[in-house]
Amino acid sequence: MRLALTLATLLLLAFSAGAQAPPIKIGFASAMSGPAAITGEGVRWGATLAVEEINAKGGVMGRKIEAFFADNKAQPGEAVSAVRKLADVDQVDVIIGQTHSGACLGAMPVVKEIGVPMVIEACSHPKIRELSGKGGNEWTFRVALDDEIMAYTFARYMARQHVKTSSILAMNNDFGRGAATAYDAAFKKAGVKLLSTEFFDPGQPDYRPVLTRLKRANPETILAVILASDGAPFMRQFRELGLTQRIFSRGSLGSAEFLHQVRDNPKIGDGVVEASYWITGLDPEWDRKWTERYKIPPRIHGSLAAITLRWAVVPALEIALKKHGKADRQTIRAALEEVDVKDSPLGPIKFDANHQAWINMILIEMNDGQLRILEKLPTSPALLN
Amino acid sequence: MYAMVAAGLALMLGVARLINFAHGEFFMLGAYAFWFGYSELGLPYPVAAVLAPAVMVAFGVAYQRSVIRAILPRSWHVQLIATLATSIVLTNLAIIVLGTQPKEVPTALSSRVLDVGGVRVVWQRLLVLGASLAIFWALQRFVARTRTGRAMRALSQNREACAVVGVDVQRVAMVTFALSAALAAAAAALVSPLFNIFPDMGTGLTLKAFAAVVAGGFGYVNGAIAASFLIGLTEALAGSYVSYAYKDAIAFLVMIAVLLWRPQGLFGRRIGI
Amino acid sequence: MRRATAVALGALVVAAPWVIAAAVPRQQRYVLHVLVFTALFAALALSYDLVVGHVGSLSLAHPAFFGIGAYTAAILATAAGWPFLADLLAAALLAAVVAALVGVPLFRLTEHAFAVGTLGLAVVAGIVANNWVEVTRGPLCITGIPKPRLGGLAITTLPGYYWLALGALAAVALLYRGLTTFRLGRAFHAVRDNEPLASSAGIDPLKYRLLAFTVGAGLAGAVGALYAHYLSVMCPEEMTIGLTVNLLVIVFLGGVGSLRGVLVGAVLFTALPEVLRLAPTWRLVIYGLLLLVVVVRSPEGLDSLLRRLGARVGR
Repeated sequence: MRLALTLATLLLLAFSAGAQAPPIKIGFASAMSGPAAITGEGVRWGATLAVEEINAKGGVMGRKIEAFFADNKAQPGEAVSAVRKLADVDQVDVIIGQTHSGACLGAMPVVKEIGVPMVIEACSHPKIRELSGKGGNEWTFRVALDDEIMAYTFARYMARQHVKTSSILAMNNDFGRGAATAYDAAFKKAGVKLLSTEFFDPGQPDYRPVLTRLKRANPETILAVILASDGAPFMRQFRELGLTQRIFSRGSLGSAEFLHQVRDNPKIGDGVVEASYWITGLDPEWDRKWTERYKIPPRIHGSLAAITLRWAVVPALEIALKKHGKADRQTIRAALEEVDVKDSPLGPIKFDANHQAWINMILIEMNDGQLRILEKLPTSPALLN
Repeated sequence: MYAMVAAGLALMLGVARLINFAHGEFFMLGAYAFWFGYSELGLPYPVAAVLAPAVMVAFGVAYQRSVIRAILPRSWHVQLIATLATSIVLTNLAIIVLGTQPKEVPTALSSRVLDVGGVRVVWQRLLVLGASLAIFWALQRFVARTRTGRAMRALSQNREACAVVGVDVQRVAMVTFALSAALAAAAAALVSPLFNIFPDMGTGLTLKAFAAVVAGGFGYVNGAIAASFLIGLTEALAGSYVSYAYKDAIAFLVMIAVLLWRPQGLFGRRIGI
Repeated sequence: MRRATAVALGALVVAAPWVIAAAVPRQQRYVLHVLVFTALFAALALSYDLVVGHVGSLSLAHPAFFGIGAYTAAILATAAGWPFLADLLAAALLAAVVAALVGVPLFRLTEHAFAVGTLGLAVVAGIVANNWVEVTRGPLCITGIPKPRLGGLAITTLPGYYWLALGALAAVALLYRGLTTFRLGRAFHAVRDNEPLASSAGIDPLKYRLLAFTVGAGLAGAVGALYAHYLSVMCPEEMTIGLTVNLLVIVFLGGVGSLRGVLVGAVLFTALPEVLRLAPTWRLVIYGLLLLVVVVRSPEGLDSLLRRLGARVGR
């Protein structure tokens, strides 16, 4: 008799242990190696921190999250490998990432073929919006704003500030080129005269030749599409040459990262107005946790990945679990279409027919080593008209 | 700046008959050594600037004893691949150990500007120019006057004869290596305040230095220096007046044109490898 | 390799999709994808080895030819609606023509100058691809490259791609074999090993070098076209100097100048990371170290090392 009871108890325990629900697997893909490795590192740090936080609070409705990472080397070919690894080998239920537009474009056909939802946290190519959503690729979603949206908004702002002429200085990669094309069109619409467009290779240290060319073109303002790491030597040499143009920037020039790089002389960045959709200060709690853990100011790509996870993917997981009791690829995809978050740090997250979330654009001014939000501009499809 | 890096490479080529594709990494490591001394340890600029080459000399010697000794007698293909492999290892170890975040080492001179009749230049640039010239002059004297220097020259001209006459080939090779590393590191210490330091910074440099060495007359140090100045100048001019995006392409095309016109390089005599 | 083993191996390779589906059903597509990359890389490495291994010219220009082929196919397929086989042929031809044109002046240079010259070509090609936005769309990439069609058959599934890549590899390997044996092969090797002797024997080094260079370039262009069609996206990042580094690793790690060696190298290079599953930067460190050790101990690559080991063990 006692044996039977013990056996029964053991069996019961075994069953209940086995009945604990499996974790939800989320894949993160970004450039983990190569020249853009700094972005992938940010994504990995941000994702790790966010996932730990969520799991510490008990997971999503009792289900823990397991994070997997893959390297797309910022190249489309590798992005395909990364997606396949995450989907086929790691068996993830949803992918966040790609970060770089070439990689996004390469990954999109594959996520459709495999049937795994991908939420893009940072790629800025306008084509992604055209290709996604109803009638197109129903498996891709994007939280970030693209260059077209930002260009039209920013150009209109510049025109309101009575800017008459400008020159574009952009990184010679997918981000910079895409932005340059968008601003070219946007300036025309807003009535700002574009005097010249210059491209530079990210990571190269000498800006004097291009600054000389800019000096010769003599615009009133410069539209700089540049990241913080290049921004620091650029601004130093800008000041060195005594140039005085107003700088409007799109990238991460006006950022805590930049100020950290120029902490010996923060006034180098004075007067720069940055158009972005993320900045430290939108979520002070997150900033604090990041700085505590990683000892440097929060990085943009890591924070974007974390926000995408917490305010787009997690709500979708909750919807899927509530409605269907499970969170697999199909239910997550359908759930993403129903996500309607009003107050994420980036603004409202609700995917339209093209699976684009129209988050806020923020204008930041850098002065005296401080960043100040000038304006918060909501965006909508109407802007593109 | 290119010139100093190329000079180091040319030295090694001419004297030790060695192609070192990891040379760019000497520059990168030298820059990090400088950063460490200046930013982390808080040493004053001149001390840190001398520390970096010192560290790299030690590194260069270690490198020579381990890797180079093994590949020296082999064909130049082997040397190229082996040093390329080393370059890959070093660059990626740097990423792992030092992180991808670029480091900045602004110094007092890199922020202060000198304004001469409308031409504005940061003091540091003048330091780079002055120091380079001083170092080249010192190099010339060393090669021409000291025993080791003369041994290096002899070695580059006729290896077998040197062994016969009693020149300690291994020792001279080691000195050459150390010198080469020191040159790269010194260049790094001079230039870092102006730019960023990051693990990838050496790779592009190696390619350009290699091009300069060949174009200047294989193994001929002054030729390499001249060729590097030519590359630097072409890049700056092309960047300012023609097209910034295509400036690297133009510089390379000029190099190729030079080689086609004078296949032995600008000043070279063939070393006959 | 004995006949029976060779046939068995061949059958296994062809039947791979089914074998994989049986062995690791959920990962079948991923494994096939890796194999497609392996096959394409192997074909590219063989085309590279023709120039480096058999004629002894260290060319650093291969990414340029790969890129020219890839972009030609991409542009013709998207902008001009050319069918797959036609744009594949055009890609190979254009790459070969460029090689011939550039090769004539370049081969007159010394060995080192040649290396620098080919390096320059690769750099220039990369810069043009990145900046000639009207044609190549620069960093915005060419998207929507259609799937290959052979006659009426459209290749859309992974097993289909796998067989296509395999077929391409087989064709390249056969061509490689043909070019490097018999009289032609001997002429190549004569030029590589002892140029003065070769020319005194009436073998014109320039002609043979140019031949290897051009054929190698054409093949690289063809592989580029296949690659572009497989990914349906082509960006300038795919044709950087990094590609040369990868090819050098494959060829020298596996065995320069030997068919089996290059194949071994390609398999190691593409398949090993999947097995190792380390952080990407550590992976590169390991490659570097491996390459260093191999090239110092056994410059002919792993293949000859293994062969020597095998001989010692005394099959």
